Amino acid sequence: MSLSAAFNIISSSFAANSAQTAVVSNNIANVNTSGYSREVVNLVTNLDGGVDVASVTRIANAALAEQVATSTAEAAAQQAIANGLATLAITVDDSSSTTSSSGTDQNGASPSAMLANLESALTTYQDSPTSSSAADAAVTAAQDLAQSLNAGAAAVNQVREQADQDMASSVSTINSLLAQFQTANDAVVSGLGSGADVATAEDTRDSLVTQLAKQIGVTTTTASNGSMSIYADNGVLMFQDTPQTVSFTQTSTYADGVSGSAVTVGGVPITGTSSAIQSGALAGYAALRDTIAPQYEAQLDQIAGGLINAFAETPQSGSGNSSMPGLFATQGATSLPSTSDATGLAAAIEVNPAVVPSQGGNAALLRDGGINGADYVYNTTGASSYTTRLQQMVSATGSTQSFDASAGLGTSASLTDYANASVSWLQARNQQASNASDYQNALVSQATSALSNATGVNLDSEMTNMLNLENTYASTAKLLTTIHSMFSALLEAA
Amino acid sequence: MTMSASFVSTQYLASSLVLPVQQAQAQLATATTEESTGQYADLGLQLGDQSGYELSLKEQVQQLQTLTTGDSVVATNLSTAQSALSSISSSAQTTAQDLATWTASANSDAELHTMGQTALQELISSANATSGDVYVFGGINSSTAPLADYFSSSTSAAKTAVDQAFQTAFGCLPTDAAAANITASQMQSFLDGPFAALFSGGNWTTDWSSASSTNTSAEIAPGETATTSTNANTPAFQNLAEAYTMLAAFGGSQLSSSAQQAVASAATSLVTKGQSALTDTQAALGATQSRVSDAKSAMSAQLTLIQQQVDGRDDVDQNATAAKITALTDQIQMAYELTARLQQLNLAQYLPVA
Repeated sequence: MSLSAAFNIISSSFAANSAQTAVVSNNIANVNTSGYSREVVNLVTNLDGGVDVASVTRIANAALAEQVATSTAEAAAQQAIANGLATLAITVDDSSSTTSSSGTDQNGASPSAMLANLESALTTYQDSPTSSSAADAAVTAAQDLAQSLNAGAAAVNQVREQADQDMASSVSTINSLLAQFQTANDAVVSGLGSGADVATAEDTRDSLVTQLAKQIGVTTTTASNGSMSIYADNGVLMFQDTPQTVSFTQTSTYADGVSGSAVTVGGVPITGTSSAIQSGALAGYAALRDTIAPQYEAQLDQIAGGLINAFAETPQSGSGNSSMPGLFATQGATSLPSTSDATGLAAAIEVNPAVVPSQGGNAALLRDGGINGADYVYNTTGASSYTTRLQQMVSATGSTQSFDASAGLGTSASLTDYANASVSWLQARNQQASNASDYQNALVSQATSALSNATGVNLDSEMTNMLNLENTYASTAKLLTTIHSMFSALLEAA
Repeated sequence: MTMSASFVSTQYLASSLVLPVQQAQAQLATATTEESTGQYADLGLQLGDQSGYELSLKEQVQQLQTLTTGDSVVATNLSTAQSALSSISSSAQTTAQDLATWTASANSDAELHTMGQTALQELISSANATSGDVYVFGGINSSTAPLADYFSSSTSAAKTAVDQAFQTAFGCLPTDAAAANITASQMQSFLDGPFAALFSGGNWTTDWSSASSTNTSAEIAPGETATTSTNANTPAFQNLAEAYTMLAAFGGSQLSSSAQQAVASAATSLVTKGQSALTDTQAALGATQSRVSDAKSAMSAQLTLIQQQVDGRDDVDQNATAAKITALTDQIQMAYELTARLQQLNLAQYLPVA
């Protein structure tokens, strides 16, 4: 081997060394960049016996990356549902029970607790039927109950409006991410074609998929030319070379019975259908807006309808009269609501103004009947200790009634049990969503750690490489000096 | 967290303690709240689908407390009624004794009148006993005094009716001189007939009593309704009023001795009848009183049991919570220390400066 060949080898060594140094520097620079995949230099021996850089490999792990995307989407969906349910759960928060001056526990805020308070006020009234303060207290308890139903219905609409807004902003985020994805994907495809370094573009693409997964559950496939396609988790194509348009029309105001519009991808609806998306924040918002909140509202409507029926007045005299709303009514109602037509009752229910003293009413009509006129008077002699009607009302909340099956709490129960079951229903979902959200977040954290450990940068390991490279550089330089002196000796001898 | 430990990214190493510290801090906040209140921080989240059952237990507690309070009102009304009945009874006893020692003689006529007037005033005053704003013998018509004052300055309906009946039977008033001609047997049949009719049925409720014959009722325990009063339209009140009225109206009048004797013996038998009816009424009220008191003690026992169940669901074990707080605090301190040490575990710190 000639000395000049040795020079060639040394020069290749310097080239390889600087390529490796560049990669190590890049790795160290990105030590704290999430989603950065570390790179390693692959070296081969060349024909001269020197060293060549064969390629730079990006350490990726598609399986772990997909796990991160999947768990991120699940966590986002559960988080969205849990947030909405937590808002609804505030309206049934009964943990703050207080003890009134009479030593009787007053339960929290739920319609169920308010119903118990009303029952208690009516019981007190029947023990002191001559007391006008007991009558007023019963009317106030009834007003609190009506207000808790109104507040529940308002909270449902608020949650639905918020979910609708969140869906709109989620859709706009998805469109923006898909546009960015196109840029990164084009860079990968053209880079692979021309043999350029596409590592950064690939990192960007992976990171965009993870961000996309927060909004909507996605799966990806990669074609032989390196182009990545994205599908929603229900199989609808979202990106193949170019993005599909995701559209959504916002509904700004919700009331009982109003349904929002669906999200479509390239014209195909992906929410509100039997094959809707399952994960991602968008799926969570849609479930909240279209399923969970409306069902809770239906339960509140059933409770409101049940109340109006339980406290209805039956005619005591006259002919051709039918039962009419008593203590609880809706404005302008001329008949009792049926269970199948309860839409909007929770929002509209109020205490009949005929018994509210501040609205010119007479609270004693609770005891005597006659809210609907003379034909509905129960206490025909006007006796001041008449308690039959009050006792009827106390027991009315405990007697079995019919409810509509669509609200999901069965068809036959007492009003009290039904109201309790509704609280159970809501809190059970609240608990499940909260647990699922915690669990999925832990999975995200675990998957992210696993991915980070599989593809991320270890500073110590890069430093070790760096030292190695320094030593190689020093040795190569030493070699260069030695060969140089050998040449010099040769030239001096000549 | 287990993983293939051959390679750990620096980012993971730096961030691995962040999540556990965040979780521990959240748990610490919850545990601190629970330690101070003794109850779960978020009961709904803790109980989930048991929330409804929990509510129904709390509602039972509330119902029992309300009924217990209501029972005290009922018990007060009942004991007011009982004490009024006892004074009616003792006044009847006195009258019966006085009648037994009374014998007809020319100058003892006025005694009968006084006897009747005193007893009737006592009866009316006792029958109008109130508990709070409730006339306890009014039945459900509890806001009107059951018996009007017989001796009021504007002649009462009852007195007018008595005078009219006498006038119709004998053509004169008891205070007229003509009344001296009425025989004992005439008097007897008047007392048994027209006079007795004034103290029953429609005459009684028109002239004497404003009470309702329907008694008050109240729920004294869950699902248990009791009749919680008696009323002034019962035989005890009617018999005694009849006896006292005949003494007051005809004693000290122009009636002959033999007719007065007939009045006294009729009154004696009515007082005896009244006393026996009174005992029945007292016994019936007493039975209700003991039902109410039984209901209260049964509810008190129930309340304790249910309250225990509620507490078992709501309340955290404060010893366990205190231990948890200590453990969490230790864990967080440990994590801080580890974070500081991990910062030192960096090869760059140990490399010689070139």
